[in-house]
Amino acid sequence: MTTHWRIQHGRGRCTSGLIRVQAVYQSLVHMTWIDKLLDDIRTLFVGLYGEQLKSKHSSVVNCDKFAPYFERKLQDLEGQSDSGFSATGTKLTPPSSTDNESADESAPAIPSLQKQQKPLYDTSADSTPVPTPDTSRPSTPAQSHLLAGKAGPGAKLSRRNKKKFAASTSAPVSSGDEASVKRKGKGSTKKNRVWGDFGAEEEDPSVVLDYSQSDLRDEASEGEALAEIDPESWGSRTGKGQFVLKDLDMEMDQIIAEQNAKQAPTSAASGGGLVGSSLGAIGGLFRNVVGGKTLTEEDLAKPLKGMEDHLLKKNVAREAAVRLCDSVKRDLVGLKTSSFTTVEATIRTSMEKALTKILTPTSSLDLLREVQTVNAAGRPYVLSIVGVNGVGKSTNLSKIAFFLLQNHHRVLIAAADTFRSGAVEQLRVHVRNLQELSKREGGQVDLFEKGYGKDAANIAADAVTHAAKTDFNVVLIDTAGRRHNDQRLMSSLEKFGKLAKPDKILMVGEALVGSDAVAQARNFNQSFGPGRGLDGFVISKCDTVGDMVGTLVSMVHATGIPVVFLGVGQHYADLRGLNVGSVCRLLMS
Amino acid sequence: MAWYDEDSWATAAFAPKGSTIAATFLLAVLLPILLHQFIYRKVTPTSLPSFLLIGPSGGGKTAFLTLTERKAVAQTHTSTAPLAVEVLLPEDHTPQSSHYRSLGDPAYERSRRFQLNDTPGHGKLRQFATNQLANPTNVRGIIFIVDAASVAEEAGLNESAEYLHDVLLALQKRYTGATTSKGPKEIPVLIAANKLDLFTALPPHLVAQQLEKAISDVRKSRAKGLKDSGPALDGEDDSLDEEREWLGEGGEGSFEFAQMEEVGITVTVQGGNVIGGDGADVKSWYEWIAAQL
Repeated sequence: MTTHWRIQHGRGRCTSGLIRVQAVYQSLVHMTWIDKLLDDIRTLFVGLYGEQLKSKHSSVVNCDKFAPYFERKLQDLEGQSDSGFSATGTKLTPPSSTDNESADESAPAIPSLQKQQKPLYDTSADSTPVPTPDTSRPSTPAQSHLLAGKAGPGAKLSRRNKKKFAASTSAPVSSGDEASVKRKGKGSTKKNRVWGDFGAEEEDPSVVLDYSQSDLRDEASEGEALAEIDPESWGSRTGKGQFVLKDLDMEMDQIIAEQNAKQAPTSAASGGGLVGSSLGAIGGLFRNVVGGKTLTEEDLAKPLKGMEDHLLKKNVAREAAVRLCDSVKRDLVGLKTSSFTTVEATIRTSMEKALTKILTPTSSLDLLREVQTVNAAGRPYVLSIVGVNGVGKSTNLSKIAFFLLQNHHRVLIAAADTFRSGAVEQLRVHVRNLQELSKREGGQVDLFEKGYGKDAANIAADAVTHAAKTDFNVVLIDTAGRRHNDQRLMSSLEKFGKLAKPDKILMVGEALVGSDAVAQARNFNQSFGPGRGLDGFVISKCDTVGDMVGTLVSMVHATGIPVVFLGVGQHYADLRGLNVGSVCRLLMS
Repeated sequence: MAWYDEDSWATAAFAPKGSTIAATFLLAVLLPILLHQFIYRKVTPTSLPSFLLIGPSGGGKTAFLTLTERKAVAQTHTSTAPLAVEVLLPEDHTPQSSHYRSLGDPAYERSRRFQLNDTPGHGKLRQFATNQLANPTNVRGIIFIVDAASVAEEAGLNESAEYLHDVLLALQKRYTGATTSKGPKEIPVLIAANKLDLFTALPPHLVAQQLEKAISDVRKSRAKGLKDSGPALDGEDDSLDEEREWLGEGGEGSFEFAQMEEVGITVTVQGGNVIGGDGADVKSWYEWIAAQL
């Protein structure tokens, strides 16, 4: 399965509408022409519907007629890749747009023809058909002949058939003009026969039953239609003097050529003479200050590099910075800067937008509401904390416990770090402090411990059952710190996740970490096995980094998991929710 | 030749000469015309009155927009970008400001024209909506489209209520934070309960009740929640309790939409369905829009 994506910003980014030509092809053989197809289709689409895309304040893009173009292009390219011989064969035959799904869809190719057809179609659609000879029979034989191939529903002729058909039509093709002339004479002389009670009535001009034919008999409109028939619009004469009917192919080529021609001057202008280039440079500088400059990739390259360096200085991991810059570039290429805005300023606002988007959580992160919902289901809410060594897991756990105690919850803290000496004692100190505090605030807190050396997952599971029995409504599980690239240590997390079944797993990452943040977040996210990942990050030590809060962005970028809490100090109360706006401001300052 | 000479331009400008009179006359006649032209050109592209479509994802915002624009519902997908579309009020509704106008009046046609601003409802993309709320120019009203069937369930109700809470809080802040004594222009809110054709959909008055109850809960849990990281990260001392704003009367007791009238926000709840077996039924929404135009 090959998936190709082409994204084009509508030329000039008029509507900022993305034209997305997506092609998904399943094929066993490698198709070399996919790129060409996508390029051509994109150009075609812009050429045909550019105007519609540019119109402001509208969501309607009428492109019903695009299907035949696409089909034809596809067929052409398929034909070319088949063999050289068949490719030339298809080129030589003038396929008179016969393989289109319906005649209606070939409208842009043969506008004059369509004009004539219209009355015919109208009669068939009319609910009051009058059996006059005029309507029951196609008005001109020549026209019907031309239509014969198209009329077949879904008439997709094979290439051989097409050739045959082309051969049969090649002779009378040039008689298009005569046909219409003949038709005119007929239309003006023929009269409706009106049947009365006693045979044919001669004259009753006041009653015209055949309304559908009214525009056919309208001399003026017909003359207009005839005048519009211009041999050039039908097709062109080949070198040998053969008249070749214009078809989709030619029109397509024309549109593509026009589009390419439009693009050519812009590239040519850039490579002008010395005077031209220096003038261009001055103009560019001026534009840069005043605004109204259409951004190209070259314009953006240097400021974006600066932006990337800026982000790196803010402790954003390289990977994340590059991706952010790429997204900004995608966003901006083809855009016109607004008045009195420099390229740098435009990049800044776009980057701020990208940062806001990346940091904004998808759903609400209200811990208290979640606790409420889970408790309503009759079981304790289980929250566990993981992370590498020394990032502040226990500290942040106690901060969360304090926050919950303030809201009068009954909290059980499980000491599932059975590895590091003093880990249980550390938690005991925290619990003692919290008990003192909760005496004033309300709420209740206790420690669940089983000593050292036991299996952490079992302890956690025991803690949950104990909490359910003794009417605690929140269980906080502390785990041992582990290095994220140590398989042996990380593998035990999967078992832990399965046994303890935490409602929420938070990972603590320190704001100081730097570019390792990406790998940490990713490895911890994957360590819980399929179907379970992290639910959020706690970024600790935010008070120590000043404005270098890039770690937040790196971690969220790597996993798409939101930041739930920020640790901003040494006290129990120093836990904060994330304010996306202020983080963006710090990063951009 | 000095300026005070007899042939100088300064003398000529005050002399009763034919050319001077002609020039003065031309100036007198043309200046107002040119000025008028200039100002007319400047002022003509006045932006249309616009309505903001807000609501959680999957509520039917884009469907309503396409219905209004094309008179037929197009197949829609989750929006990722905002969309502004110029539309015309359907014939059978008369804008409030044009009740006295005759049908042939060009001003009547103009008054029926308005702009619908669609915003993405996905959690990550709500910044487009909130940015517009912070500085609403020409916004005549906000249409909060909510799926009446999803409100019947806990998760859908909470999401809608939280979003609506944020929208109303932003509007309230705009009112209370206004520096002029007159206060900013009132922006009414329509809660459009969509998808009433579904069997599980709640009727509009129940939607209103549920939302009021859920917003009370949101307000309560926000009051208990953690402080915002903003001041702490900016290095300010946040130990002082910063002035936080609560929706409705000081954030106490249960919330009712009627409380919002105090801060210039009229909340109306109307039911309808954009898609349905018997076609769309959004007359009440159009009526509301017509009343604001």
